[in-house]
Amino acid sequence: MLSRRGLLGIGGVTIAGPLLRWPAALAGETVEIEMRGRPDGSLVWFDPVGALVRPGGSVRWTNRDPGNAHTSTAYHPANEDHPPRIPEGARPWDSGYLLPDQSFVMIPEVPGVYDYYCVPHEYAGMVGRLVVAEEGASTGAAGGIVPAGRSAEHPAAGRGDSAAGARAGTPIKPADRLRGLPALRALTRPRARPPSSSIPLRLYRVRGTPRR
Amino acid sequence: MKLVFASLAFAAALGLASSAAAQEMAPPGGSYQKVSALVTLPDFLPGLGQLYVDPATLPAGPFLAYDHDGRLVSTIYMIPIEDLNPDKSFDDLASPGGAVDHVDVYFNAGHPGVEKPHAHVVLWHVSDESAVAQ
Repeated sequence: MLSRRGLLGIGGVTIAGPLLRWPAALAGETVEIEMRGRPDGSLVWFDPVGALVRPGGSVRWTNRDPGNAHTSTAYHPANEDHPPRIPEGARPWDSGYLLPDQSFVMIPEVPGVYDYYCVPHEYAGMVGRLVVAEEGASTGAAGGIVPAGRSAEHPAAGRGDSAAGARAGTPIKPADRLRGLPALRALTRPRARPPSSSIPLRLYRVRGTPRR
Repeated sequence: MKLVFASLAFAAALGLASSAAAQEMAPPGGSYQKVSALVTLPDFLPGLGQLYVDPATLPAGPFLAYDHDGRLVSTIYMIPIEDLNPDKSFDDLASPGGAVDHVDVYFNAGHPGVEKPHAHVVLWHVSDESAVAQ
């Protein structure tokens, strides 16, 4: 299984400086997603919860929650044996824990629908969705992308992991940000975990440099 | 007999006072460790302060919270919601910080170290919470 560090190497990069080392990011726009929470920690969320990303673009998550740590982690078996909810052939990512004002950038390379979660807050429903597609394309039943003007059927159809916003033939809205996908909460399935009394402390190095 | 009981009570009171005194300033003694050194969390949590915990007591705690000057402000228990059921109870929880001024109880969605949704039970040892607001 890939290590977190390995995943970082192939799926994204933490912000340690300008993006000059990543020309692909410069070639396209960067979608900004903030990790937020109430001051008392009673609610946590990605803002926006859903976003449209143009091919060649990048996504940057930034922790704007002063009292908590968050992650952006792809639904994929490589990440704590989660079900695959990214396009076939796409590489999974895991930001590792981000402290306040730290960021993580991921460049999706395969068109399709990507679902992700926050490791310490999946139980609380902190999940999000990216749709990587050209404007005017539509999504197949399993989240594949069909170019504009073609049938919405997708080879992976029938895999059974579609959700709101990823239904066959659903046109992708031209807006860059698709807010409020309520069905995303249905993706949050509590994982089998050891009894709470035996939950070990999770010791992970934080990657990235605070952006002040 | 009365004398023995009174002596024991006095010794117990003295022990509690001594224990509370030992925790009054950061860092607390014993097995307490700084939470931000154990898990990835900000060193100072707005609204709570700088937290210390004995890892053996996780996830419930107690957590000891200190202000920017290292003064103890509260003792916190974090009780997983799923543990609030007919088959489980939390009895005889200590208040190692001493006298309690007031108590806050509220929901928390989770954070590194205590990832499941849980309730924060905050035993404030001070009347003014503003010292840890930011």
